[in-house]
Amino acid sequence: MSRSTSTTEPGWMRWLLIALALGFLLLNLALPLAAVFFEAFRKGWDAYVAGIIEPDAIAAMKLTLLVAAIAVPVNIVFGISAAWAITKFEFRFKSLLITLIDLPFSVSPVVSGLVYVLVFGLQGWLGPWLREHDVQIIFAVPGIVLATMFVTFPFVARELIPLMQEQGREDEEAAISLGANGWQTFTRVTLPNIRWGLLYGVLLCNARAMGEFGAVSVVSGHIRGLTNTMPLHIEILYNEYNFVAAFAVATLLAGLALVTLALKTLLEWRYRDQLHVGGH
Amino acid sequence: MTVSAHNIVKHFGAFTALDDVSLEAQPGEFLALLGPSGSGKTTLLRIMAGLEFPDSGSICFDGVDVSTRPTRERAVGFVFQHYALFRHMTVAENVGFGLTVKPRAERPDAAAIRTRVNELLSLVQLGHLGDRYPSQLSGGQRQRVALARALAVNPNILLLDEPFGALDAKVRKDLRRWLREVHQTMKLTSVFVTHDQEEALDLADRVVVMNHGVIEQVDTPDAVYNRPASAFVCDFLGNANKLDCTITGGAIEIGGHRIENTAPPAADGRGIAFIRPHEFDVAADGQPGVAVTLRRLTRTGPMAALDCQTSAGALIEVTTLEPPAGLLPGAALTLVPRRVRAYAA
Repeated sequence: MSRSTSTTEPGWMRWLLIALALGFLLLNLALPLAAVFFEAFRKGWDAYVAGIIEPDAIAAMKLTLLVAAIAVPVNIVFGISAAWAITKFEFRFKSLLITLIDLPFSVSPVVSGLVYVLVFGLQGWLGPWLREHDVQIIFAVPGIVLATMFVTFPFVARELIPLMQEQGREDEEAAISLGANGWQTFTRVTLPNIRWGLLYGVLLCNARAMGEFGAVSVVSGHIRGLTNTMPLHIEILYNEYNFVAAFAVATLLAGLALVTLALKTLLEWRYRDQLHVGGH
Repeated sequence: MTVSAHNIVKHFGAFTALDDVSLEAQPGEFLALLGPSGSGKTTLLRIMAGLEFPDSGSICFDGVDVSTRPTRERAVGFVFQHYALFRHMTVAENVGFGLTVKPRAERPDAAAIRTRVNELLSLVQLGHLGDRYPSQLSGGQRQRVALARALAVNPNILLLDEPFGALDAKVRKDLRRWLREVHQTMKLTSVFVTHDQEEALDLADRVVVMNHGVIEQVDTPDAVYNRPASAFVCDFLGNANKLDCTITGGAIEIGGHRIENTAPPAADGRGIAFIRPHEFDVAADGQPGVAVTLRRLTRTGPMAALDCQTSAGALIEVTTLEPPAGLLPGAALTLVPRRVRAYAA
């Protein structure tokens, strides 16, 4: 093989680098993933199914779906509003807002959870008032939803802001000059322009909402059948040496991850020009 | 419809985009806003459309103040430089958009919309492309779709922001001719922004030359070219040699050569003379005129271009049909200006 450019590495170097990268992926990603499925089916299909249809597991799944069903739509609304405000209007403290949106990425999830305990917990700032009015947030579903919302905050907004910045305001200006009102402009021009980017952001947001452990763990209280999401349920089962059930539930989350990955790749491949694939 | 702007002032932060600008477009007139980038021409157009609002001053349509009316209530057709076609809609859907977003009471039925869209598509000569998407069209075709879309709602006025700016030279020329014809059949008051002087002179009934947020001159293409009101207009419209001169009693002196009867009359003192490259006669050395040395002679097509230098070091570009035979770089020549425009420096 002739060397076509001066930057081409010798053959053995190329093979070494590829082998290194592949070996690392195999060891750190593929092997653990295989282990999850292997452990889940270690005692056969019946034990696997039993681990999944156990009432506490079902409750955990329901809670996880509920949390995602609230957090994801809220993030869609927030993400679109923030991206709209940042890209279509000029205002002071704009860069501050952009920085704030990124905050959940830079803060440890445990800290995010603790912040909510500090504000809404019994000993927290709003604790006495909440107790008086018989509202429980910490160690209850509202706390879990809030913590999940905090952690998944940036996904939709971060995907849309660069995309909408790139697209500019001309399409919207054209629509209003043709007589469209604000809602018509949004639903018939803006939304179709950002739909694939939005779907991409929602996908990542959903994966994180269902898989979040740290922040949720702090505010959940780990009450079986009540405040355990799937990741927390898996941890409890594992700590009780109930490996088959723990890995059985884990296969569901792993499955979600694989589906997310497949859809994400599909979107990136099909609509590359209409996405802003940033560095998450 | 008469469109007028009265004492428009617009700042962007510390930058003054428009400084007390007033302008009127007559019914059916085709007006060009011409100027370099940053001259405020696009801002003025966007203020007319209601896409931007002035700090002070007003916009009137047929004498009615529309300054506070939002864009969607002004019924202006706006054509963008980069077309701004809705990429997820077909050409026909794009053209019909303005009709489909009308309030239910005013909205024509589907069949009427289809008829109107077909009518407009044949006006812009794209009748066969209604089912295509914008990405499947060429730049020139996209801009014609954008124009059809703007015309669909029967606008009061048509505003075009650098409509040919993103197109290549050949398409630009064809589209220009075609737009002129469309305008003549529609008789719609139209204002377009351009930084291309050839485009402005070729298309417009009147040209508005702008610089640094003020209007330098409003006049017919012939007048702005042949009787520029200021040094800026003279310099911006058409290529001209700029030479330092002295003005005394209406006559000017360049490099020891005196020329009478310059236009427009300028005050005595130091001045700048503008002479277009084709407004020189080339004579042999020693004749009365501006003495120069030939640096380079090039021939592109019918005209020969001569790069000359005066003894003071100023460069002069001359174009002529018949250069003296056997000229070589370094030859001494005399240039006799036939026409000079001088302005106070």
